[in-house]
Amino acid sequence: MFKEKQADNTRRVVITGIGMVTPLGIGKEEFGKRLFSAETGIAQIKSFDTSSLSSHLGAEVTDFHPRDFISVKNMRRMDKISLMTAASTRLALNDADFQITAENRDRVGIVLGTAFGATDITVQFLRTLFTEGPSCVNPILVPNTVMNAAAGHTSIELGFRGVNTTVTHFAVSAENAIAYAAAEIRRGTADFIFAGGADILSEFYYRSLIKFHALSPQNKGKEESRPFDQDRNGMIAGEGCGIICLESLQSALARGRQPYCEIKGAGMGSSPTRPTAWPKNPEGIKNTLNRAMKNAGGSVNDIQAIFASANGDKILDAAEARAYAEIFDSAENKPFITSLKGATGESFSGGGIRACALALSMEKNILPPVVGLVNPLGPLAFVTGEKKELEIRKAVLAGISFGGTYAYLIFGK
Amino acid sequence: MKKRVVITGLGTLNALANNVPDFTRALREGVCGIGEIDLFDTAGFRSRTGGQIKNFNACDYLSHGFPTKRMSRTDKLCLAAALEALRDAGLYPPPEKLKEEIGVAIGGGAGGLLEAEEFYRDYIKRNGKNARFSTLSSLFCASSADCLASIFGFTGPKSTFMTACSAGATAIGYARDLIVSDHASIIVAGGVEPMSRLTYAAFNALKSVDPETCRPFDKNRAGLSLGEAAAIMVLESLESALDRGVRIYGEMMGYGITCDSFHMTAPDEQASGAVRSMLAAIRDSGLSIDDIDYINAHGTATPVNDVTETKAIREVFGKRAYAIPVSSTKSMHAHTLGASGALEGIVSVLALRHGFIPPTINYRQSDPQCDLDYVTTGTRKADLRCVLSNSFAFGGNNTTLIFGRYAERGAADV
Repeated sequence: MFKEKQADNTRRVVITGIGMVTPLGIGKEEFGKRLFSAETGIAQIKSFDTSSLSSHLGAEVTDFHPRDFISVKNMRRMDKISLMTAASTRLALNDADFQITAENRDRVGIVLGTAFGATDITVQFLRTLFTEGPSCVNPILVPNTVMNAAAGHTSIELGFRGVNTTVTHFAVSAENAIAYAAAEIRRGTADFIFAGGADILSEFYYRSLIKFHALSPQNKGKEESRPFDQDRNGMIAGEGCGIICLESLQSALARGRQPYCEIKGAGMGSSPTRPTAWPKNPEGIKNTLNRAMKNAGGSVNDIQAIFASANGDKILDAAEARAYAEIFDSAENKPFITSLKGATGESFSGGGIRACALALSMEKNILPPVVGLVNPLGPLAFVTGEKKELEIRKAVLAGISFGGTYAYLIFGK
Repeated sequence: MKKRVVITGLGTLNALANNVPDFTRALREGVCGIGEIDLFDTAGFRSRTGGQIKNFNACDYLSHGFPTKRMSRTDKLCLAAALEALRDAGLYPPPEKLKEEIGVAIGGGAGGLLEAEEFYRDYIKRNGKNARFSTLSSLFCASSADCLASIFGFTGPKSTFMTACSAGATAIGYARDLIVSDHASIIVAGGVEPMSRLTYAAFNALKSVDPETCRPFDKNRAGLSLGEAAAIMVLESLESALDRGVRIYGEMMGYGITCDSFHMTAPDEQASGAVRSMLAAIRDSGLSIDDIDYINAHGTATPVNDVTETKAIREVFGKRAYAIPVSSTKSMHAHTLGASGALEGIVSVLALRHGFIPPTINYRQSDPQCDLDYVTTGTRKADLRCVLSNSFAFGGNNTTLIFGRYAERGAADV
C-alpha cells in the first residue's frame, strides 16, 4: 500500500488523525470535551509578568509535559515550539493508528505552518550577541533560530524522511501548509503528510502585539475576546499547535481506517493591503472562497459550516462577516459560522488547531460555539451560547491574514 | 498530459551583480564577489568576509512612486529583483486582466532582521522602553511577498516558505505546482536573504564559515562564505507564455523534496536525503539520469557537505557521475541561504539559455574524496539539455530542482 508512486491527480485526500497541544487541552479527548462545552483557554498570563503592560490576558498552553510524548535524547535539543509540534504530531500519528517503519518512512512527511517561529530563542540569541559579544554565542541555540526547526526536530524524533516544508505566511501559515500538503498527497509525492501549524506566546511577541495595538482592549474597555461581536475590542494572544494526518482515501480504506473527513479543495488569494494591516475590503475573502468552492467542485448551497478566522479585531471581523453575508446571500440554507478564537486566542497559525476542531465537528456532527459572542454582527447564522448539533456534509476553514493574504479550504464527508 | 511550466522572466541582485545581464557576464568570467563586508561591524567574528550586494540604492531601482519608506532593505531588494523579472517577462506594468492570474511564492530567510536588530538591541538593553516597534512591521520574511503582491496588485495565491537554505528552491517547486493545478497561470517566485548579524553570528558560532573565501570541493576547504541575494523568476504556464508571445528561457521540469531526519545542522553522511531528493526530482520530471548535462551543486565548501554531496551524486548517477560537469557557483556569489535555491535556479536557467557551464573558482588542490568534474579551470561552452540544482538545508531539508531547455513538442503537450 506504500507503492502508489505514480503521480495521479485524482487521488482523494482524507484526514485520518488529529493531534494538538492547545490552551483548551492536549490530545483530542480533552480538547474536544472543552471545545464543545464552550470552555475558554483564556486566562491571566502566567509565564511572564504583565503588570507593567496594558494587556494581561492570554491563551497559554498549560500542563504540557513533553516527556510524555518525546524521547529524552531529542527533547534536550528542542525549544518550546518544537516540543509542541513533535508532541502534536505524535498524537496525530497515534490517532491515525499508523506506525513508521524503515519501509514507509521515505514517503511520510511534514508540512508545518508557523507565523513567527521561535521568537523566544531569537531574543535569547541576540541578547547574548549584543550584551556579551559574538564569541559568547551558544551554538546549541543556532538550529532553533530558524523557522524550520520545529519540522526538522519532529522529523528526527518520529523518523519522517519524505516531504518536509515549513510555510511562514503570517495568519494563513497553517491553511497554506494544509493546502500544500493535500496537493502533495494528491500528486502522489508522499503517502502520509502531517500538516498544521504551531506558534508560541513569548513575552517579546506579546509586547510587540501590544505596540501594534492588536490586543484587547483596543479601546480601553474591558479586556476580553469577542469574535464577531459588535462590542469586540481586539484579540487575545494565544499559542498552540494542531496537526492533522493526511493520506489518500485509497490508503485509508486499505488500512481499514474511517477518515474524519475529506479535503475537497482549496483556494488561495491576495488583495492589496498595507503591511501588517487587516484587509478592510471583503473582496479578497470573496474571491478566495469562490476559488476554493470552484476548486472543490461545489456551490454556496452545499456548505453547512464555516470555521471563521475572526479573532475580535475591529477590522478583520467586520470584513469577514460582510464577505459571508454577500457570498451566501443567494444560498438556500445559510451556513452556520463559528470562530474558535474566543476560546483558543489568536495564535496566527491556529489554522492547524481549527482544522483539528473541524475534523472532530464533522465526525460528531456538532459545531462549537463562538465563546464571547453576545451581540452578533449582521444577520448571519453564528453559533452562540452553546454547541449546535447539525449534519455537516461540507465545511469551510477560513484563513485570512493581515497584509492581505487568504487561504480557504473546503472539507467534505 | 501534465501542464508544462516555463520561465519567462529573471531578476536578481547579488554579490556579483545587480541585474541579470551583468550577472551572466560575471558568471562567465568567473568573478569572485566575496570580500570585506561593511553592512555592520565584523569585529569579534571569526570571519570578516561575505558576499555583500554592492551599491544598492533603492531609489535607482524603484523610482516609480513605490512606497519604499517603511520597507526593510530585504523588501526593497526583493522588489527590485521582481521588477527586473516582470519587465523581462513583459509583465510590467502588469496587465489588468492578468492580475488575478498572478501569484507570489517566496523563499524567505532573515527578512527585515538587519534593521530589526537595532530594535532588538534597544529592546534588550532598555527592556523595551522607547524601542521603535514599527521596525518590526517588515521583520518577518513573509513581508517581502506581501509588499510585492500589494504593490503590483496581484491577487493570486501568495505564500512564503522558510526551510533555511532550501527555501528559494522550495518556493519555485511550489510555484510550479500551483500552475499545474490551475491555482494561477503565472507565479512570481524566488527567494530573498539579507546579511544580518544574527545569521553571521550563528554560522560563526557553528564554525562553519571559512575565515577567508570559500573553496568548494577543494582539499583545504574550511567552510562557507555567507552572502545575500534577491533572486526572482517568473514561472508561467506554457499556454499563457505562448499566448502572450514572450521569450521562453527554459522549462521548469520538476523537483523533489526530502528530509534527512538525521541531525539539525549536519548532513547525513550516508547522503540518503540528498540521494532521494535528486531521484525524486528526476522522477517528477519524467527524465532519466542520462538527460542531465550539468549539476549546479549545493557545494557550500564545508568539509562535510562537499563530500556528502559528491557521494550522493555518485550514487544517483553511477558511472555517469564522472561525465557530468558539477560546479558550485557559491564560490562566486557566496551562500545566500534562503535565496540560494532561487539564485542557483537562475544560474541553471542562464546556463541552459546561453550554453555555458559556470566554473567553481578558488579551487587549488584536489581532494581524493571529491573526485568529480568540478569545472575548476574556467567557464565551458556547452549545449545543455537539462540542469539539476541542489539545495540542502539545516533541519535536514533537501530540495532539488530540474530545468530543461524549452523545446516545442506540439500543441498537444501544452
